[in-house]
Amino acid sequence: MARYDALQGALPLLVLKILARRGPLHGYGITAQIEGLSQDVLRVMEGSLYPALHRMEEAGWIKARWASTEHKRRARVYEITATGRKQLEAEETRWHGVTGAVAHILKHA
Amino acid sequence: MSWLSRLVNVFRASHLDRDLDEEQRFHLDSRVEDLMRQGLTRAEADTEVARQFGNRLGLREQSRDIKLIPWLESLLQDARFGARRLRQSAAVSAAAVVSLSLAIGGCLAAFALLDALLLRPLPVREPESLVYFTHGSDRDFRFATVFSYPLFERLREVAPAKVDVFATSVQGPQEAVLPDAGGEEETVRAQYVSSNTFGILGVAPAIGRLFTSEDDQRPGDHPVAVLSHAFWKRRFAANPEILGQWIQLDQRPLQIIGVAGRGFTGTEPGVRTDFWVQGAISRRELLTDANNHWLRVWGRLGAGVTREEAEGILQPAVLDFLREENEGTRGKGRFGADPPAPPTLRAQAGAHGLSPLREALRRPLLILAAVVALVLVIACSNVANLLLARAATRERDLALRISIGAGRSRLVQQVLVESGLLAASACVLGLLFARAAAPAIVRMLAPADNSAYLDLRLDGRLVVFVAALGTLTTLLFGLAPAARVFSLAPNAVLAAGVSRQSSRLGLLRLLVAAQVTFSLMVLFVGGLLLVSFQRLMRLDLGFVKSGVALLTTRTSSQREAQSAPLAGQLVLDRIRQVPEVEAASASGWALFSGSVGGVWVQVPGGARVESSFLSVSPGFFATMRIRVLEGREFEPRDLEPDAPPVVVVNELFARRAFPGERALGKTVERDPAREEIVGVVDNAKDTDVRAATPFLYTPLRGVGTLQVRTKGDPLTLAPRLRSEVLRVHPSLRVTSVTRQSTLVDDTLLRERLLALLSGFFGILGLALAAVGLYGVLNYFVVRQTREIGIRIALGARGPAIVRCVLAHTALSIAAGVIAGLAGGLYLARFVAPLLFEVKPLGFWTLALPVAALLAAAALAALPPVRRAVRLDPVAALRHE
Repeated sequence: MARYDALQGALPLLVLKILARRGPLHGYGITAQIEGLSQDVLRVMEGSLYPALHRMEEAGWIKARWASTEHKRRARVYEITATGRKQLEAEETRWHGVTGAVAHILKHA
Repeated sequence: MSWLSRLVNVFRASHLDRDLDEEQRFHLDSRVEDLMRQGLTRAEADTEVARQFGNRLGLREQSRDIKLIPWLESLLQDARFGARRLRQSAAVSAAAVVSLSLAIGGCLAAFALLDALLLRPLPVREPESLVYFTHGSDRDFRFATVFSYPLFERLREVAPAKVDVFATSVQGPQEAVLPDAGGEEETVRAQYVSSNTFGILGVAPAIGRLFTSEDDQRPGDHPVAVLSHAFWKRRFAANPEILGQWIQLDQRPLQIIGVAGRGFTGTEPGVRTDFWVQGAISRRELLTDANNHWLRVWGRLGAGVTREEAEGILQPAVLDFLREENEGTRGKGRFGADPPAPPTLRAQAGAHGLSPLREALRRPLLILAAVVALVLVIACSNVANLLLARAATRERDLALRISIGAGRSRLVQQVLVESGLLAASACVLGLLFARAAAPAIVRMLAPADNSAYLDLRLDGRLVVFVAALGTLTTLLFGLAPAARVFSLAPNAVLAAGVSRQSSRLGLLRLLVAAQVTFSLMVLFVGGLLLVSFQRLMRLDLGFVKSGVALLTTRTSSQREAQSAPLAGQLVLDRIRQVPEVEAASASGWALFSGSVGGVWVQVPGGARVESSFLSVSPGFFATMRIRVLEGREFEPRDLEPDAPPVVVVNELFARRAFPGERALGKTVERDPAREEIVGVVDNAKDTDVRAATPFLYTPLRGVGTLQVRTKGDPLTLAPRLRSEVLRVHPSLRVTSVTRQSTLVDDTLLRERLLALLSGFFGILGLALAAVGLYGVLNYFVVRQTREIGIRIALGARGPAIVRCVLAHTALSIAAGVIAGLAGGLYLARFVAPLLFEVKPLGFWTLALPVAALLAAAALAALPPVRRAVRLDPVAALRHE
């Protein structure tokens, strides 16, 4: 799955950005957001989102709680923390740096 | 690491797995719904989702590792860090662990004892529907729980469907010949039981069979025995071949038919049973004599029958029985002529068995448990002290970490892990201590030749108790330092350096006050018990207990017993010729041996006196050094067949029987004889050191127990005496040799145990409090070095410095003393029934513990105070 691999390094960045913009979301909501916003170009290998989320949770970037949905089901909802916002800033800067550099090379090589 | 992770997984992973699974499932379901909304069928959607999602199990494992490992690693890291810090101050940590483990071990031992004696129900079917019966005619538990065989038989017939009645005998050591002993007698503990006992209790055999109801129908018919599992294992190495072999008990052969199931040790906690015999095979007079009370009567209540109903059902039968008995023996019965108030039958809850030992020890054990719990609190506050004082040295370090972003909860975890390490190592040590201490205490509960037996096991209940205790102690002494971490204001600490400490001192002072309070309580109660025991030991017995050897003898046949009067004198004459022997005599049984004889004596034309009696040989009073107040003691001529019947009485008897008159030369009537009082002797005590009873002595025609007063330790002469007895009288067997003083002291075992243990824990508590005080003062002096240095530099002299150091703690000590005395007096209310001639509210009982505490406090304060006074101001001012 090429699409998945392309996403590997950027997944935390996307998750943090989405959570920062849209507020608390559950895992499936995050998946749907990524797909919707990228017009289905970026598709997560859905299951692998969760280990990534849990890793970010342990790192303290996001925090989770159980909430019930409109269909009365228990869903685990993630929310960005202050540390996560700092992290998002750093990652975003880095991402722009890297993509800028790559774009530069593609253009001028 | 692997055991730790496994341990942690047990109580964390299952919960975690459930959460992870639920989260995945929510995702999958939502996706399926969306796909179906887009027009896919259920099956198509399922396949699509499974393909899209990936390996569910693998992903879950990944998540689990992410969640568990950092936590474990942090825990391990904290454990290593904690262990290192504990090692850094090894001496202090060791002191903390040792004091904690003594206290925890004490608690565990107390729990093991309480569990075995009070808490654990009998290992039988439905123990809660068991009852045992008491009759209200006697307040003494030992007498209120025994019934005669004829009465038991009557009760058994009343209503078996509602109250199924069975009986067990009161048991003591007996001599028996076991199958592989080659004819040698040994001491065993046999218990007579009615043959329905095992059936009603629901005890199953390990091998062979148990008694059946038919075994009882014809008295003396089926001489069979059932071994206890423990005895079978201990004495016969669990050999199944033992079935069918014979035991010789009481000159009666018994065939072994089975071994009771493992775990069933009888119905009396505190007593060991080697084998059971049917009650119906015991001696005929025991089965027919309504005045011989030797059975404990039990009942199994039918479904829905309450204890009150059971009493109502059986009480009429008791009254009927007594009425018939009194009609049959009017005026003849020894005690029957003066029948006490008709007894009221009471059914007592029997789930925990019936145990005179428990009744005697309930209060002492609970007091002991309270004492060790107090010591545990002292030890905990001591360790809290230690950790707090040490946390002070780390305060800057902690503040620094918080200010650079370390999570406070992480730091609290670290403090708690360190406390947990201390508590865990103390628990392990305490467990070892308790395993040694609890059996030692059990050995101290009863005399060596009649030892108490308690099933002290290391089972799940004890493990749970240890775990709870460990957690509790960790929280008790770990929370205060942990709370400090939360309240730490990093900026203030980092800016202010050493001078900021007031709130910590407040906490330390509170801990000092608590330690003083609790140790004073323990000391006060321990002091009361010790003084009471001392008083008991110093009581005048009316005879001199030291230097007397007691030889219990038994003739092997009836014929020998008849020739014994002569033989007894010969044996005594022979013994008196041994050079080390000062005096020798014989009596029916020894004073304080537990045997008692009771008689009603009629004064012609006067009162009836209830009296103890004992047959003694000439020379008894001289040997025991009981003073003869008037008249004479027995002489050999009193033993001659045609001698006039004479008795000797004690002063108490004389006063009761002949108030205001001289008793010497008067006659008394004892059915059927009239006897003349030829001597009045001092009141020698028997069975109880606290009080004497009226006593009537008659001349002994026989041997019984020999008293031999010797120079030096009486027991060193025992082998010599034994052989002298055998030489004169080959068929006379010496069954046991002991000291008279041992018998007396054995009646005070409970008091001795309580005094010793509470004394020990009192001193331990005092030592802990002193160490705690030392720690606080020392800490204070270290922290105040600069301030003290400035004061000295400005001209303050010794007394002012001492005041400056002590001012902070004197108030806490004073508060602790007041609270401790109040607490001690409160505790004393529970102790009071065990005290002998000691009033808790006395000057000395209050002053002495306080004095001891203040002395210990002064001792503890000395080193820090000295350091403060001798401080070199120049060095102090440079101190940071």
